[in-house]
Amino acid sequence: MTAYLLNLAQLAAIFGLLAASLNVLVGYGGIFSVAHAVFFGFGAYAGAQIALNVTPDVLLVSAAGGLVAGVLSLALALPALRVRGEYFVVASLGLQMVATTAFTEAEPVTGGLGGLVGIPPPQLLGFSLASPWAFLAVCLAALFGGLAVMRLLMRGSFGRSLMALRDSESAAEAFGKNVALLKTLAVALGCTIAGVAGGLFALQMAFVNVESFTLDQSVLVLAMVIVGGTGTLAGPLVGTLLLLLLPAALSFLPGIPPTEIGAVQQAIYGLAMALLMIFRPAGLAGRAQGKR
Amino acid sequence: MLLAQLLISGIQTGLLYALTAAGFALIFGATRIFHFAHGAAYALAGYGFVFAVRAGWSWPLAALLATVLAVGFGLFMDAFVYRPIQRHTGSFFTVFVAAFGVVIVVQSGIEIGFGRAFVAVTSPLTRASAVLPGLYLARAFWIALAAAGVLFGALGLFLARTRTGIALRALAENPDLLRAYGLSARRLSALAFALGSALAVPGAVLGAATTGLSPSVASHVMLVSLAASVVGGIGSLRGAAAGGLVLGIAENLVVSVLDTQWSEAAGFVVLFAFILFRPRGIFGAALAR
Repeated sequence: MTAYLLNLAQLAAIFGLLAASLNVLVGYGGIFSVAHAVFFGFGAYAGAQIALNVTPDVLLVSAAGGLVAGVLSLALALPALRVRGEYFVVASLGLQMVATTAFTEAEPVTGGLGGLVGIPPPQLLGFSLASPWAFLAVCLAALFGGLAVMRLLMRGSFGRSLMALRDSESAAEAFGKNVALLKTLAVALGCTIAGVAGGLFALQMAFVNVESFTLDQSVLVLAMVIVGGTGTLAGPLVGTLLLLLLPAALSFLPGIPPTEIGAVQQAIYGLAMALLMIFRPAGLAGRAQGKR
Repeated sequence: MLLAQLLISGIQTGLLYALTAAGFALIFGATRIFHFAHGAAYALAGYGFVFAVRAGWSWPLAALLATVLAVGFGLFMDAFVYRPIQRHTGSFFTVFVAAFGVVIVVQSGIEIGFGRAFVAVTSPLTRASAVLPGLYLARAFWIALAAAGVLFGALGLFLARTRTGIALRALAENPDLLRAYGLSARRLSALAFALGSALAVPGAVLGAATTGLSPSVASHVMLVSLAASVVGGIGSLRGAAAGGLVLGIAENLVVSVLDTQWSEAAGFVVLFAFILFRPRGIFGAALAR
């Protein structure tokens, strides 16, 4: 039981970081990406390759994940600069679909459908982190470190310019903000942190395959941000906890056959998304009558 | 000959995509709502058809049930999801997330009811006969061709000649003026949803009778109609139809060069290229950036 709870806590910290990183794009930048699992995946595959071939050091693995995801985030920044609104959502959907196929087909790097197996237990500067408590501490440190960085940046000039851009692109431009640079940086920041989360995820699971980086996962992360509340620091964490605990709670409920839990869980969060948008679009942690 | 065969099946897929995408474009054109849940209407119609045929209904009756389901779903979305949201915010992202939530609910509902595997109805439609040596045509091809021809012709006449059709086009151009003329924008938008959703039915029924359906068909069709509309030019009916045809052919032709797994991705590469280099699509007018 303790092992199960520890595992859940580690996942919650990793997904909390992932959801918070998507919040930089969606909540602060107004860049509505449904391709976030792609960058989580880039980070996880890069991290897994480093762990398998070089060293399973947490710092190196997550740095590699962040670097790869950050560089490749240009694939998302390009359409973000060209179009916005519905068009961008469609573009990111397209990116997600192409990336899922690429993950499945690029077997030498990603292991295809079989995935990459046998990732060694994590280390930190030579010390083993095989104990779940130690790795949980690392995950929590990454989560709070990431949140601190985001809070600092979003409170400062960068975050304020970004929010101005979200609320009115032409007004921000009229104030002399460099719209292209701000958008590119926001995408790079969000995707880099997603890559770091991906690296941690690879170490946590000791196994990665394409199933974790599909459209469903992107939507789940998006749901975490939205259910919690976009553009707030606590929102993504609240959403992550709710959506991660949901399947765990469902498995204790009587009357649902275990094979249907996945579908029932999906139906519940789909319903939650739709109802929240109708009755409380700012999310659970958001202001009830927000300005937008 | 392989190329010709792929082209033929590409046209068959493309015609059905074109109808579905035209439904999406009709809804967007008239109401300015990006109906992300359009694929769910397709899925409901397809599974409703399979259910009815399995229960022993005759085909026309089953197709009628499929139409009722699709139209009912469209009207439901308009009245209970989009309209309440537009009353308070109207931000497109709110609309998108709500519609996506509904798609997930429909998809998992189907999974619970019918299982994750492919379902299909057996039919003689897929039995192919050789028209030329090495070139096979199934009857489904002619049905797709006829359905697309008749429906596009009827839709064109309806939009160009009847008062209601002209009012629908007026709603797209200037809703305020429309209201000033004493027409009900609400009733017209409900009509757009009903017609648009009904256009997804032929694709769904033929899909159930030929390739089969799986629960993920809802998101696949949603992506296809979005992609077709963007490639063709958003809001343009002709554009969506052309875009659907292009995507269907691209998906099938790519098989001659790459593995079949890439066929879906090929459509999205086309889409991505259009968004980067020509965001307003083939027929699109100036784009509000």
